[in-house]
Amino acid sequence: MATLLPFPAPPASTARPAPVLRVQGLRKAFERREVLCGVDWEVPTGRVIGLLGRNGAGKTTLLRCLLGLAPVDGGTIELFGEPMAEPGGERLHRVGFVPQSFELFPWMKAGAYLDFTAAFYARWNHALAGRLLREWQLDPTQKIGRLSQGQRQKLAIVRAIAPEPDLLVLDEPVASLDPQARRAFMGELLALMDAPGKTVIFSTHITADLERADADIALLRDGRIQFTRPLAELKSRLSRAILSRPAGWTAPPAIAGVLKSRVAGASVHLLLEDVPAERLHQLAKDEDASLRIDMPTLEDLFVELA
Amino acid sequence: MKAVAQLWLLPSRQMPLLGVVAHLAWLTALACLIGITPRAEGASIGAGVLAMGSWFWHLGLASTLRGACQPESFLLPAFRRHLAVFGLVDATIWVGLPVVVALAFGVPHALLGGTLLLLAAAMGFAMGVERWISLLFWPLLVLAGWMPGLMVAIVHDALASPMTLPLLLLVAALLLRLALHPMLRINDRPPDTSPLEGLSLGRGATSDNVPRRSALGRRFEGWFDAIAQQSMERALARYRERPGTRRRRVLLRRLLLPHDNPVAIALRVAIMALFATLYVVVALHRQHFNATVVGAYAVLIALARFPQVGRGMQRMRPNLADLYLTMAPGTRSQYQQALADALLVLVPIGTLTALAYTALGIVLIRAAQPGLMLLVTLIVATGGGLVSLAVHLIGPQGAVGRQVVNAVVLMGTVAMYWAGVWAVDTLGHVAGGGLLALVVLGFGLGVWFAAQREYLRRDPCFDAPLS
Repeated sequence: MATLLPFPAPPASTARPAPVLRVQGLRKAFERREVLCGVDWEVPTGRVIGLLGRNGAGKTTLLRCLLGLAPVDGGTIELFGEPMAEPGGERLHRVGFVPQSFELFPWMKAGAYLDFTAAFYARWNHALAGRLLREWQLDPTQKIGRLSQGQRQKLAIVRAIAPEPDLLVLDEPVASLDPQARRAFMGELLALMDAPGKTVIFSTHITADLERADADIALLRDGRIQFTRPLAELKSRLSRAILSRPAGWTAPPAIAGVLKSRVAGASVHLLLEDVPAERLHQLAKDEDASLRIDMPTLEDLFVELA
Repeated sequence: MKAVAQLWLLPSRQMPLLGVVAHLAWLTALACLIGITPRAEGASIGAGVLAMGSWFWHLGLASTLRGACQPESFLLPAFRRHLAVFGLVDATIWVGLPVVVALAFGVPHALLGGTLLLLAAAMGFAMGVERWISLLFWPLLVLAGWMPGLMVAIVHDALASPMTLPLLLLVAALLLRLALHPMLRINDRPPDTSPLEGLSLGRGATSDNVPRRSALGRRFEGWFDAIAQQSMERALARYRERPGTRRRRVLLRRLLLPHDNPVAIALRVAIMALFATLYVVVALHRQHFNATVVGAYAVLIALARFPQVGRGMQRMRPNLADLYLTMAPGTRSQYQQALADALLVLVPIGTLTALAYTALGIVLIRAAQPGLMLLVTLIVATGGGLVSLAVHLIGPQGAVGRQVVNAVVLMGTVAMYWAGVWAVDTLGHVAGGGLLALVVLGFGLGVWFAAQREYLRRDPCFDAPLS
């Protein structure tokens, strides 16, 4: 599996805000099957974090553990600088969560559910909730059990955004949404991020949304966060080179900075980190091969790295 | 206080009838206490009404809060604190206020009555959260059944003892602790079982209102799952060995009804028999029971399985599309026929279960006419099973409609059982049994074939149900 090299540490003079979330050595197993094997992760304040990982990588489990919604087997979690053994304290006024599937209170009407939830929060943007209900065509008099999966997802998003949380955790929030609703949701998310100090962590497989939000990408693989990096930085430092020659390849050529290589017929595909184009051209010349360099999309990177 | 008010509204929103009835009982109880003289009499009537209303209210409250206390709810700010305040308000309404009124009117034993009201509320709540808690009261029933004199003496002495009040308070606190501890704990959600299966021994509970499973319940569940897995593997091996229509049908049954294989049925009947024997012999001290009631009850328990079929088939609809594609039937009606054939096995299973329970009842109550009971059970359980399966296969989709239909079927079955006992007793086993079989089985088969024809006529539906 490909592993990215550690990025250089930021200069000491750079003032870094305290992380909204700090995880150390987080472990979680289901009936002896270890899903999270010592996760170390820091989420800086004021960023959108896209949590990527293949199906079954443990994204949902990680997000639920972070919020204290699932018991952990080891490690520590700090949310807003305080240990998060279980959900509690004033900081919950600052947290919003959209679960992967919304199963609560199927017998309750959507409006009554929002009233119920609003009663617990010190801050609740009624105007925002009302506007989203109207724009997203959610009937507040309809019972939750009679809403479609996508409508329930919208309701869960309204419920999570209305308290204007400082940390919004979304577990595949757009999986059941139509393209219009997805765009509208992303618009609301970006509007929320306009306010200072807001942080969003969301897991998704729709990488285009992460590109639109200019998110930091965190990759969960083998039970650990492999890296968390700004998308722009990833894109600027990673490249893909395809070397082709009629004689084909018995093995990929040796070059420093290769994250992943794959031989396919007469071509060899290389995923590279911090390799200047001149070195690649030199390599192509040495190997007597033609060279094509392209910028991988986030989806390409996900396919290669996850 | 807004959050507390919302929590208070929660059970009434989910079960409006319960909210109205329970609070009417509360008002009635206070009216009795204030309006009926002498005060002691009014208070005793009021306390009875209040205890009953409180029991039902807290049973429903527990059911609602059990659904509300999912891990996501604990993200609501100060959720636990608001729950605690709501608990205090609830205790004030159901216990504190009546006690204050009783004290103001000089009702004797007001404090003891209040403590008993608290105990009733705690019992209702605890049993609504953890079903096994009802087992804690078995020793009292045993004592009352086996040594009623001693029980009366204990109650008499307890009324005079200063320790009674704190002890009752302690028991109430313990019950609440037993109920609240698991409810407020955040755990990983266990995997779902097949929607067609209700693993409760009564087989009638839906998945969304089943109380939390105890450690013993989880162990039983583990056994049933292991048996289901083995049974499925055997069915698969046989099908691979020699594919055919019959073996394919068995395979389909193992998929749809994983806990309805012979070993699981035997285990279920054995567990039920063990509990029933303990209950009748130890707790009820073998009181006298009417044999017909016992037989009818055995049939009802066996038929309690069928409503789950209607609910489960609805919940499984999206997954059944996958089954449809896997089976690749020639026509849609062939697929419907395959499902109907697979589910038909529930009728003989229901009959066998009813016969087993009836046999147990015969032994426990030393019934005078075991042959008569078994014959009537055989006929009525089969007919009732056919009708029940038919109506739940094609019957109403709404929860209320299903409950009404189910109630009608159950009442009809009980009526037929009574009529059957009378007929066989009066006309003899051959003539009476023949007449009963002609009427009940004729009706049952008629309804089943008509329902089957209607089911085959319908197109398969794979839409997700609206809950």
